[in-house]
Amino acid sequence: MEYVNQRIAQEANRNPQDAFTGLITPLNLILAAITLYATYQLYKPAPPAKLPREPPATVFKTFTPHTLLPYNGLNNMPVYLAVRGRVFDVTSGRNFYGPGGPYENFAGRDASRGLACHSFDEDMLTKDLDGPLDKLDGLGEEEFESLRGWEERFESKYLVVGRLVAVGDK
Amino acid sequence: MGVGSVLNQLDAALSDLVGQWNGYSTGIATLLVLVISYSIMTRVDPDIHPMLLARQAQGSPVRQEGESPIYRGNAAPHGMPLNSGLNVKAPGASKWSQGRDGDLRDVWRRVVSGSPSEDGPSAKGRILTVYGREKVTEHKLCDITRAINLIGQHISQHGGNKVAIYLPNSVEFVATLFACSFYGLTAVVLPFDESSDIIVSMLQRSGADTVVTVPGAFPFDGVVKSYPSLKQLVWVVDQGSNHMDWNEVPEGVGGKVNVSTWQDILHDSPVTAGNELPAEGDAKEAKDVVFFWKSRSGSLEELVQFTQKNLVSAISAQLTAVPTTHRFSPADLFLSAAPLSASFPLVLTLAALYSNASVAFNSVAGTSADLALATQGIAPTVVVATPQTLQKTHKESSGKIASLIASTSHWIQTRSLVQNGAMPVASFLASYNDRVKPSVGTTPGKLRLLYVADSAGAGTPVLSELALSDLRVFTGARVIYALTAAKVAGSVAQTQFNDYRVHGDGTGSHFGPPVSSIEVILKDSGSHKTSDDGQKIEGEITVRGPAVSGGVASLGVIGKVREDNVLAYV
Repeated sequence: MEYVNQRIAQEANRNPQDAFTGLITPLNLILAAITLYATYQLYKPAPPAKLPREPPATVFKTFTPHTLLPYNGLNNMPVYLAVRGRVFDVTSGRNFYGPGGPYENFAGRDASRGLACHSFDEDMLTKDLDGPLDKLDGLGEEEFESLRGWEERFESKYLVVGRLVAVGDK
Repeated sequence: MGVGSVLNQLDAALSDLVGQWNGYSTGIATLLVLVISYSIMTRVDPDIHPMLLARQAQGSPVRQEGESPIYRGNAAPHGMPLNSGLNVKAPGASKWSQGRDGDLRDVWRRVVSGSPSEDGPSAKGRILTVYGREKVTEHKLCDITRAINLIGQHISQHGGNKVAIYLPNSVEFVATLFACSFYGLTAVVLPFDESSDIIVSMLQRSGADTVVTVPGAFPFDGVVKSYPSLKQLVWVVDQGSNHMDWNEVPEGVGGKVNVSTWQDILHDSPVTAGNELPAEGDAKEAKDVVFFWKSRSGSLEELVQFTQKNLVSAISAQLTAVPTTHRFSPADLFLSAAPLSASFPLVLTLAALYSNASVAFNSVAGTSADLALATQGIAPTVVVATPQTLQKTHKESSGKIASLIASTSHWIQTRSLVQNGAMPVASFLASYNDRVKPSVGTTPGKLRLLYVADSAGAGTPVLSELALSDLRVFTGARVIYALTAAKVAGSVAQTQFNDYRVHGDGTGSHFGPPVSSIEVILKDSGSHKTSDDGQKIEGEITVRGPAVSGGVASLGVIGKVREDNVLAYV
């Protein structure tokens, strides 16, 4: 109550000539600034919407068994494997084909025989990296069937990023 | 009581401030409220979502060494085949059955039978010829069918094999083209209004043995002397010169050329003959169509041979390039103000015919025709024009914007296009600029779509983004800017129907994403190559697809793919 009485007395004692009646008052300046800022924000020209570019495309390369070997998922390398001369980028299936996965033997190697025979043993991979590619002889009809099935699944899921040739061929 | 006194002082200061409220403050606050509510009430949704324009094509995830990724428009994404034909189904077949590609014969069959509709009569378009501002004649479809049959039979019976068409834009042009498709003749389309030597050189290179032409434009004597392989000639004579005997050949000149007139061929046969088109089961392959591409004025034209599959794939790409609600329909009137001897206007005319739109022909059409002259007498809704024509129109209209109100009105309409992504609404201020607009057709405001094509490597003037935006404001129609090339039927790439953007100061230009029958690769050429981080994609434009003559062709110009995956010149 004390405070209110004080304020009322203060207001009553104010000099009427101090009242602002003109256009240029601090309040008007603040209001004008708000109006101009709102107009500016509403009507300023905006450049068209942009999206960043797509990630760069992978270059299609010709691999030999030696150059394909580093692509086994270690050292942050992508995971590639080769089936019948075509190199697939299976980095998205890293859990299977990458290091620690059940099929990790296939990474960076020619996996054709292993897929045909449904086996992940070491002896399914070609030992001699300098020699010719595995010609898949000694495989029967059902093995070729299953290899075709694997190849179709790879085609629909993974990208072909290169081709595999033996050392010396091109 | 330190805090108390600070609060007291703050309270006093605030009361002082708010106490200054006077009439002017009310005025400024009202202005603020008005500005905000005006902007809310006049807010328009853009015609297309801006993010769809931010990436208009897709690059393939794998690229070959020395090339860029393969770019395809969103209508034909990677993994799907490119648009290769019209998907023509046998009548009565289910709507979901797989159709065949078709050829130009199916285009005319569709014109005659009307648009397919399950209930009620099918809509058919009209074919009109414009002779001037007052005279517009309509041609009956059965008359044109009869002409197609009789002319085709006449030419093939007299041993014709390759038919050169040297006509201005007219019904006879299109009828001869269809006649060649129906009767197994190769059509050779010659650009109209050329000198005698150039005509002879084109005839020699194409090996044509028949010419269908107008008297007065064709140097008969010169051609017969220099080109002895000419066997037949068909004059297309207009009404006024009908009384003269065109069958007579001057003595000493070309005795072995069989001369006849269009009207005579039609009148000599009984009225009932030729009313039926050859049966659809006719397994004969329709022959190719030969075009001449003028690469630069003064240099020799390039001969390009398109198969029917190329043309049909280009027609299909043009039909799918526009959103479904805005496609050609029987309510449209199509006019080509560009000469039909180029593949792009011809493909659009065939697309309009296939969609059962009404099509008008005006022989005034040429490379630098005046838009008002070319569209007089009718009110077209879709027009194809050359860049020279539109450049002239743009200059005239821009020159008329002199006063401050006119330029403000133009600026506001441009803002609506560029900032809001919507066509400008008709308002009082916009109607102030009505006299600035070019007069297209008899009724203003009917034009809804304008096509213009840049010819790669031919030195045509490039229209900047700002010029195209101004044309949209002036004509009140959407403008589609296409890139065309010699070996590609139709266009290589064209801007999207709803793409009104202007980047920067508007002096750049782009051609939009590739159409659905084409895929584009940029091959490294000198300093223009695809960088390893994928930020810079430049090179010589190479195209592949069913609309390309020979399957693959290089355009011979350096292009780049911008950040929004559209094609542009470097």
